[in-house]
Parts: sequence; C-alpha cells; structure tokens
Amino acid sequence: MFTGVDLGLRENTAERIVRIVLFIALGALPAFWHGQYALGLLTLMAVYGVLLIGLDATVGYLGQVNLAQAALFGLGAYASALAVQAGAYFPLALLAGIIAALLPGAALALPALRLEGPQFALSTLSFATLSVIVLNESETITHGALGLSIVRPSLFTVALDARGFYWLCLVLLFMSWWVSQILLKSRFGLSIEALRDSPTATDALGIGTLRHKVLAFAWGSALAGLAGALHALNFGYLQPAAFGYDLMVMLLLGVVFGGRRSQWGAFAGAAVVAMLPNLLSNRTLFSGLVSSGCVLTLVPILRSLISRRVPAFKEAAPAVAMAVALALSLFASNVEEWRKGIFALFLFAAVVGLPDGLAGAFASALHRLIRFTPDPLPPATGGIRSAGISVSKPLQVFKLSKSFGGVRAVDNVSLDIGQNEILGLIGPNGSGKTTFINLVSGLYAPDSGSVEIAGTRPLPGSLMSAFSAGAARTFQNLQPFSGLTALESILVCQHDGGKSEAMGWLRMVALEEKARQRCSELSYGDLRFLEIARALATRPRLLMLDEPAAGMSKPDIARLVDLIASIKCAGVPILLIEHHQDVVAELCDRVAVMDGGRLIALGTSAQVRRNPKVIEAYLGADEEQTSVQGTSEPQLC
Amino acid sequence: MIILDAKYIALAQMAVGGGLMGMAYALVAYGFQLTYAAGKAVNFGQGELVMLGAFAGISLAGTGLPYWVSVLGAMVAGAVLGWFVERVAVRLALKQHNEGWILLTIIVGLFALSSVENIWGRDDRPFPAPWPAGALDFFGISVTWPELAIAMGAMGIMTLVELAKRYTMAGIAVQAVSADPEAAELCGVRSRSAISLSWAVSGAAAAFAGTVIGPVTTVGPTMAAALTLKAFSVAVVAGLDSGFGLVIAGIALGAVENLSGYVLGSGWREAPGLILLILALALRPQGVFGKKIIRKV
Repeated sequence: MFTGVDLGLRENTAERIVRIVLFIALGALPAFWHGQYALGLLTLMAVYGVLLIGLDATVGYLGQVNLAQAALFGLGAYASALAVQAGAYFPLALLAGIIAALLPGAALALPALRLEGPQFALSTLSFATLSVIVLNESETITHGALGLSIVRPSLFTVALDARGFYWLCLVLLFMSWWVSQILLKSRFGLSIEALRDSPTATDALGIGTLRHKVLAFAWGSALAGLAGALHALNFGYLQPAAFGYDLMVMLLLGVVFGGRRSQWGAFAGAAVVAMLPNLLSNRTLFSGLVSSGCVLTLVPILRSLISRRVPAFKEAAPAVAMAVALALSLFASNVEEWRKGIFALFLFAAVVGLPDGLAGAFASALHRLIRFTPDPLPPATGGIRSAGISVSKPLQVFKLSKSFGGVRAVDNVSLDIGQNEILGLIGPNGSGKTTFINLVSGLYAPDSGSVEIAGTRPLPGSLMSAFSAGAARTFQNLQPFSGLTALESILVCQHDGGKSEAMGWLRMVALEEKARQRCSELSYGDLRFLEIARALATRPRLLMLDEPAAGMSKPDIARLVDLIASIKCAGVPILLIEHHQDVVAELCDRVAVMDGGRLIALGTSAQVRRNPKVIEAYLGADEEQTSVQGTSEPQLC
Repeated sequence: MIILDAKYIALAQMAVGGGLMGMAYALVAYGFQLTYAAGKAVNFGQGELVMLGAFAGISLAGTGLPYWVSVLGAMVAGAVLGWFVERVAVRLALKQHNEGWILLTIIVGLFALSSVENIWGRDDRPFPAPWPAGALDFFGISVTWPELAIAMGAMGIMTLVELAKRYTMAGIAVQAVSADPEAAELCGVRSRSAISLSWAVSGAAAAFAGTVIGPVTTVGPTMAAALTLKAFSVAVVAGLDSGFGLVIAGIALGAVENLSGYVLGSGWREAPGLILLILALALRPQGVFGKKIIRKV
C-alpha cells in the first residue's frame, strides 16, 4: 500500500512555510496583476479573511451557528467611520471599530452562550436584525439609508494609496491568522474543543465552560470589528442594508465551504465569497468552473456504481445540485440574477459532499500523499500525590434530598467520607446513586440539605464551585472529549505542569502508547481509564468514580482495582459507585447502600452483605421473612 | 358605556390589529414545533416556505381557480416542499448527529428565495381574496375581514392538527416517535415516515399562513427572512414543546410590534420585540411555557 512520502518535516513547520510563501505571493501580486479592480478584489478578500477567521472561532471551534458576525462587522465599520469623521487618527479608527464590535459581542455572548443549537442561532439572529434597525433609524448619526461617506485618513504621515492599503490589510490578516492559530492551539483552544464535546465534563473538571465560550465569542467579535474598520476605510461609503441577512448567509456559508476549524478554510472561504460575484459576470469562466465542479461530484457516484451499489444520498445529492447549477449557468438568461441560487447550490454540494470543507478535503488528501514527522513526546514524569492539605472530612453530606416531579430520587441522605477512605456506594438500578453524585458534584442543586467538600460549602448546583472545593468525578455514561487526543484530554484538565506530567498520568493508566490517538478512536475500556486519569490530573481532594468497571473486561477490572488502591495509597479519598460486588468488597473501607433514594445500610462490606434490608433490596423478600422483619425491626432500632 | 380617549382607542386598535397578525406568526411557529417534536430540527427557511405558499396561491388564483381551491393547492405545494426540505437538508445531518441541518435549511431557503425572485419577480404583489370590504366594529375598534381570516384560519389549522395528533393512528405514531424514535421503531412505527409526515404538515401550515397573510400585507421576496425570525421567536419564547402557549406568545409579539411601530415610528417596529426575545432567551432558555430541561449524565 502507498503510505506517502516522508518529508522529514513536522506538520506545523510545513504549514508555516507554506503560509509565509502564500503571504509573500499575495503581497507581490499587485506588481503583476495591474489595475484598480484587481486590487479592490484582493483587498476585499483580505478584509473578508479577517472577518471569517473571526467567525470560525464561534462557528467552527465553538460549534455554534453564529448569525451575528455580519452585524458586528457593520457596527465596527460604522464606529470607525464615525471616528474618522470626528477627526480620529488611523489607528484610533481601527481601535474604535474593534471596540464597537467587541463590547456588544461580549455582552451578547453572556446570555446567548447559555443557549445551545437553534436557540443560540436565534438569539444571534435577533441581535443582528436589531443592529441593522438601529443603524438604519439613528439617522442623525448614521444618515440611515442615505449612507455615510468618509475620506480615508493617512497612516501617521503616510498617505496610503490603494496598494498601500492592500498591504496593510494583508499584514493585519497575517496577524489575525497567526494570533488565532496560537490561541486556538493553546490550552484555551483545547478547552474550547473539549467543551464542544461535553460541556458537563469541562465544568466538572474545572475547565470552565462559560468563560471559554465568552472569550471565544469576544475574540471572534473583535476580529469582526477590525474587519469592519478596514472595510469602512477601504470603501469610504457605508449603508446599513449591506450588513443584513444576505451578507450573513454569505459569510456563514463561506466558512463552511472553506472548511471549519481551520484558518486556511476561513481564508479559502473569504476568497470564494469575494470572488464569486465577479466569477458570475464572466460567463465562460463560470461555466467552465461549474462543469469541473460537476465532474468532481460525479466521482463518488461512479465509484459506488463500479462497486455495484446504489449511490447513497451523500454521494448523489452534490452531483444533482451541481447539475442544476450547470443547467442554470448554461440556459438561464440572466445568470447574475440567479447569483444567490447558484451560490446555494454550490454550498449544498459542498456541505453534503465535503463536510470538512475545501480545507478539510485538501488536508486529508495531503495526509495521504505526505507523511509528516509527529511532534516528539516528552518522557513521563510525576504521579499521584494528595493535594497536600489534609482535611479531617473530605466529604460531609447532611440530609440531602432531591425530587424530580413526584419521584424522590435522593431522600434525606447523610454520609461522610474520612481521610484516606474509600466509601463504596451500592444499590439496585434506580436507587439514586448517580443522582447523589450529581448533587455532590454540583450538576443538580439539592432541594434541601447541605454538601461540604474538604471543609468548604460549594454553591448548590454549580459544577465549577464543587470543583474549586476539590471534587473531581468520572461519568457513568462516558463524557470523552472526542475531538482531542488522549494526551490533550489530560493537558486540558491540568492546571499546572506540562506535557511530561500529562504523560505521567497516561502512564499511570497504561495509555502512554496511545497518547496521540484521538478519543474517538480509543476503546471503551481505555476511555474509562482516561476519565480517571483526567480527574486525577486536576489533583482532587475528593475523587468520585461512577461505575468505573461497567462494561470492562476481567483483566481490565483487575488493573482498575490496582489503580484505585494506588490512588488511595497516595491519600486521595474516593467515593465509588460500583455494581461489581467483588470490586467493592476488595477496595472499600465502608459501604453505603441506597434503595429508593434512601440510605438503608452503612458498614463494612461484610456487615452490609448480611443486612436483611440490603438482601431484600437486591433480591426481594419472601413474605415470611418480611413479616418477621416487620415485627423485629422496632427492637433493632 | 365609558367613552375612551381617542388616543387609547387608537392604541387598542393597533394592539388588536397586531395581535391578529400575530396569530399568523403563531401558525408558522406551530410548524416549527411540529418538526422539532418529531425530529429535533426546525427549518431556518420556513419563511421562504410561507412565501412560496403565497406565490403558489397567487398563481393558482391567477388561472381562474376559486380562492379555496388555490389555498388547498398552495397547502399541497407546501406539504411537498416541507417533505423535500426534510429529505435533502435534515435527514442526513441528523443521522450524523451534527447541526449541519441549520446550515442546510438556510441553504435550501436561499435557493428558494432566488427561484422566487427569478420566477415571480422582486416586486410585491397583492393577494386576491374574496373577503368583503369594510370592517367589523367592536367598541370602536375595527377588525377587517382578512385579519379575522388569519385568526380563524390559524386556530382552525392548529386545532385540526392537534385533534389529528390525538385521535388518528398516524398522529399517535408521530407522538410516539417524538417521545422516543428507537422505542417507536421497536413497536413497528416507521420513525422516518413519521418525521416526514411532520415536515409535510409543517410545510402545509406554512403555505396556508402565506395565503392568509397575503391579503393583509402583500406578497414579495422580502417577506421571508422577517417571517422566519418572528415565527421562530414565537416558537422559542413559548417553548419548542409547549403546545398552545405559542398562541399567547404570537399575539403578544404581534401587538408589541404594532404598538412600537405606532409609538416609536415604523422603522423601530421590530426592535422591542427583538429585545424582549433576547431577554426571554437569557432568562428562560427553555421558553416561557416550556418545561425545564434536566441535564443527564
């Protein structure tokens, strides 16, 4: 099999070289490609580049459909135009644009980012509509629909001509690209990827979902403002209607077409959005382009026909869309009138046929051709040690209750965990064990009762607050960060220490070899171990494991028992929910038994096994025994 | 009887007119609820469906068909289009558990908009309807027949669909699928067909909305985007699973819109509604009438 050419280069290095070459080429282009028109197009592309890199922060990295970018772009443009009118210098005009988009962007982010999916899209859409109304109606300031005209000020003492301004835009695009890349590849970027996969886990592990969302949105808004300011200084004339729904759709689709979660993709999208209106006006060029697109979409259909199966929707639909586009470009009398429709067809083909966009498709083709040298992994260091401060009671729960509708999921439960103790929590399915952990870890707020973790009382119903008090947990239904590698999953949870320490945590759970594998490729058992390593990496004062052995093979369970025992030795107290009684018996100092939301027994493993109430909860009571119990119970109490 | 100040009469007149128009938003929003319940997705191009329904109605009426027949024809066209949107834009994305459907429905809407601009033109057109001229008068507040038709039509369609959901096998099957698609399949219900049916009914409701809105406003390509936003606002504020709460939300939005247009000037018409929407979303993400969502892990 063809495995690709080994260039002996790291991917990052190769990407950096190609990017710099691209920018040098773009900078040199005006020398060869003369004319104001071409220069105008290139400038527009650079401005859209900045705008789309910003949009990608929310649409790509956060994974939320953000429909406010065009409006933020407009706000930035108007603010810088007004600043110029008031006599501001060039850099101040840029700054005014950035601030005018950043502030409303961040303000919008706070309520909007608590929302997901369609609700988020709607709130950004309302904000965008509102902004255009305000720009239109504040006639004394913006001149409304009449439009606002400005003259571009000089940059310090240099009067910028069209070419000079293009170079300035290029420099700013390069900087936005570079900073975005650094930002989104850092721990901040990893956190954003993690919270897209599981916001619950990122909160429970102290990464902080809301904070990262707001920051990502603010960064995207700031870039929108910068792009807006450049746009205003480029054209010198603004109208509110230009920043409405049409532009928004174009931008959104530009990002998707180019490829999400990639600055290259945003740039490719910007080029397409800037060039498309001009492509449509040149009919021959356009028909040629559509035909080649059509041929490309036929490839997957042919491939499926060769292997004698009916092409799937995913394979056939792009070809149909491109065929309609081809028919329109050949037969419609007014191709430009069909601009939106043809763009829609292109995008449909791209979204269905290339879910990762142009950049994604290109990258995966490249990876097939070229083998890059992976980043070296540092040697593993570190290991478990307790958080240092020892508290007499790592966990104290007093009369905790929680109902869902009429069901009392947890009913008046009081429990505590001592220093260096493993407390097992067992009970039949539906007895309230997971709800109990959810209450302690702050996923739910209790109806009554209190929780004290390592001597502090976290805010009820706040995962972050429980985490700050020292709790870390795993989940019964796995919450992996599917987009991250095993190593990155640990890195994102660590609050100090670098890669070598992260490797140390992986070594502990024997996943060192799989450090570079994505979580989506790891096996179920591996993911269970990775969740424990993730929780340990936060250096907890209380570790809560929710059925860690569920679905594990026998040898894995043995490994798990050793691991938990070694965690205990290091001085981290553990609350363990488990159905495997042998695991519980081997590890737990004390065992609490829940049934129907109540705590029915507490003692050593051997004690609770003999407890008639426990036997009844698990096996049901035969009637004779119940009646005997019924009479004997008062004497016991 | 107390004779009210002329100013208050005018305000009340605005509120009533807006509220009646709001019933149309509620009807389109009802379409959102139907598809959201069945497949957890909505059509971001629903406004385009309303517009297409209205244009289809105009063209059918233009061939000399009676009004009611052209309304029915528009509804059939809407049903087919609703089914089409589900098939091409939603099914695949939902199977892959991503939110590509938001983009794809926007894309299909964009294509629809472009087609309308090229087939019917960019200008607004009147929608011919056989309603009597003049208006009814309730305590000094006049209500025109087309406005009344919106309210009656919207309530009628919603009641019919709700009854069908409760008392026909197909309706019960759709409810089963919205509760749990896998469990419904195990009981022999085809989830896919139930979802397609919901989208078709949603499309028909949208097209019907177009035929009753048309006579009050006019019909043109610019109506689509604003309608999607308004109807979606109504659906989300009421709660995407809240049943008739959206009638209240729809009337409220329509009234607020008209009143703010009257008080603040026509350019500001939509602004207070949008601010209220953002606030409502921030305070109650699950909707004013919606049930609280419990996170499960």
